[in-house]
Amino acid sequence: MIEVQDLGKRFSHGRGARARSVQALDGVSFTAADGRITGLLGPNGAGKTTTLRIAAALIEPDAGRVHVDGIDVATRPTEALARMGVLSDARGLYPRLSARENIVYYGRLHGLGRAAANARAEVLARLLDMQPLLDRRTDGFSQGERMKTALARALVHDPANIVLDEPTNGLDVLATRALRDTLRRLRDEEGKCIVFSTHIMQEVERLCDEVVVVSHGRTVAAGSVAELKAAAGQSDFEETFVALAFSADERRQQGAA
Amino acid sequence: MIAAAWTVYLKELVDALRDRRTLLVVLLSSVAIGPAVLVLISQLVAGIEQRAEARIVVVHGIEHAPALRNYLERQTYTVREAPPGYEQQLRDSKLGDPVLVVPPDFEADLARGKAPVVELLASATNQRSLTGSGAVLRLLRGYNQEQATLRLAVRGVSPALLEAVRIEERDLADPASRAAQISTMVPFFVLMAVLYGALNAALDTTAGERERGSLEPLLMNPAPRLALVLGKWGAVASVGILIAVLSCLSFVPGQWLLRSEALSAMFRFGLGEAAAFVGLLLPLAGALAALLMAIAIRCRSFKEAQANATIVMLGVSLLPLVTIFNQEGQAPWHLWVPALAQTTLMSRVLRGEDLPWADVALASGICALLAAAAIAFVARTLRTAALK
Repeated sequence: MIEVQDLGKRFSHGRGARARSVQALDGVSFTAADGRITGLLGPNGAGKTTTLRIAAALIEPDAGRVHVDGIDVATRPTEALARMGVLSDARGLYPRLSARENIVYYGRLHGLGRAAANARAEVLARLLDMQPLLDRRTDGFSQGERMKTALARALVHDPANIVLDEPTNGLDVLATRALRDTLRRLRDEEGKCIVFSTHIMQEVERLCDEVVVVSHGRTVAAGSVAELKAAAGQSDFEETFVALAFSADERRQQGAA
Repeated sequence: MIAAAWTVYLKELVDALRDRRTLLVVLLSSVAIGPAVLVLISQLVAGIEQRAEARIVVVHGIEHAPALRNYLERQTYTVREAPPGYEQQLRDSKLGDPVLVVPPDFEADLARGKAPVVELLASATNQRSLTGSGAVLRLLRGYNQEQATLRLAVRGVSPALLEAVRIEERDLADPASRAAQISTMVPFFVLMAVLYGALNAALDTTAGERERGSLEPLLMNPAPRLALVLGKWGAVASVGILIAVLSCLSFVPGQWLLRSEALSAMFRFGLGEAAAFVGLLLPLAGALAALLMAIAIRCRSFKEAQANATIVMLGVSLLPLVTIFNQEGQAPWHLWVPALAQTTLMSRVLRGEDLPWADVALASGICALLAAAAIAFVARTLRTAALK
């Protein structure tokens, strides 16, 4: 279970007269339960990636807390990371290593023995349908193959909580469908807590048990797809999202442009 | 912590050794080129030796000075007539011997007791002619001496009166230290080998990792940052040392190729010297690896890191020159500067001198401090670097 409470974060760039600061987060809160898929839906620049980076202990928040299975990420980051599998926006692989070596490397860093890490790589290759890739160098991999390898790498230590930052970016239809199936199986068969961020409505509609709408660094709505539609008084989910995420002024400006 | 560092070390080592193309270029440039230069220098020296052994004096107008010719031939020198246009040939470095020019009225002036003027032509830009002119000058002084002695003897004066002081030259350099003069380039080549070996791995594990987007996921592992950096550093330093070992070993058979017998007798670089070199270079490899990583971790791309690393490359290649330009010989502060210290100590090994433990400890200690500071900096910068 991942609990995010009232996160605040301000970024500053430059120095002196050219200094500028941006309020990236200003009150993001949500709870992602075990055995459920929680979608973090928001327009570009809403603060999704920053939220997930704070959850993965890469950034320290100015305000608020993140608990992973009751462990405070800020004070006990190593323990929290051991219970989380994170597929971040940056998912670079080592081109001179095979997919298996990439996965086993992370397994070893999570404290698994060589044999255990290898066994996990086999299990994940079956789950993600990537056995033929396992012993090829990742140099010539397609986007979908890279994503699978990066996901397997993130899941090598069999974490109870899975955090994915825009996982379908750059994937074609088949790869996206395969990923969706995988996430469902992880939820249904293993009862994982899955959080993923996206700006694609379809994905949320098809996959999420719970949706958290983030806009301007704030949680503006949360609930199931049906609940959100009802709250906005819309039958179409895209209309629902626009109504929830943008102010009336913004909608008018976008319309004019 | 140690397990994580070991895991990172093994992975980075495998990664670096699989970069075959880069390794091949490094091997060619740092392992093959040293012995090649050694052989080139040996050919140059062999040429000079040949000239000395040939005992030839090139003279223009020797027909005006039969007495001088007689003297030269008595010294077992062969007199050869200067080729036409010898001045231009000397300027263009086409003629390797200095030319002695004898004026037409040489013999007549000598008979009248008037000192004739002979010219010895050489060019400062023609190194071979300069080297040869020393021998000809000594020959001419000998001729002067003989003439003077004969004139004094005719007048019944003892030649010893003229010689208030007798001079005998004695070369104090033993063969090993004479060899060190030509082998000063060996430390330079192995030093550069360490640097070239470490360079690519250092940039790849820092700026390269950042550019690929694999640094951020790496930091999401529950391994301490210091463990990640230590593993990477160990791998980079190992690659540097590996190349240095190969470079040192390449000089061992390199000496068999030496053409000059005197030179190969003087150039003493066996397995013992190679081992001493590697021992001296170990701490330096550690320091350079950490320094390169510290420079590269701040750069956004591999390319930017390469540009920044040029400063280190330049520093390491220029520092050994201090020992060449510094007329006062070795100064104590040389041992305080990494790279310069190792060059100094390595040339002592080549000269066959003892290495005081205090000096080795000082040079290595400074490298260790530098490495520790750079590693701490990289560990501290790692997180901000991953997110930019």
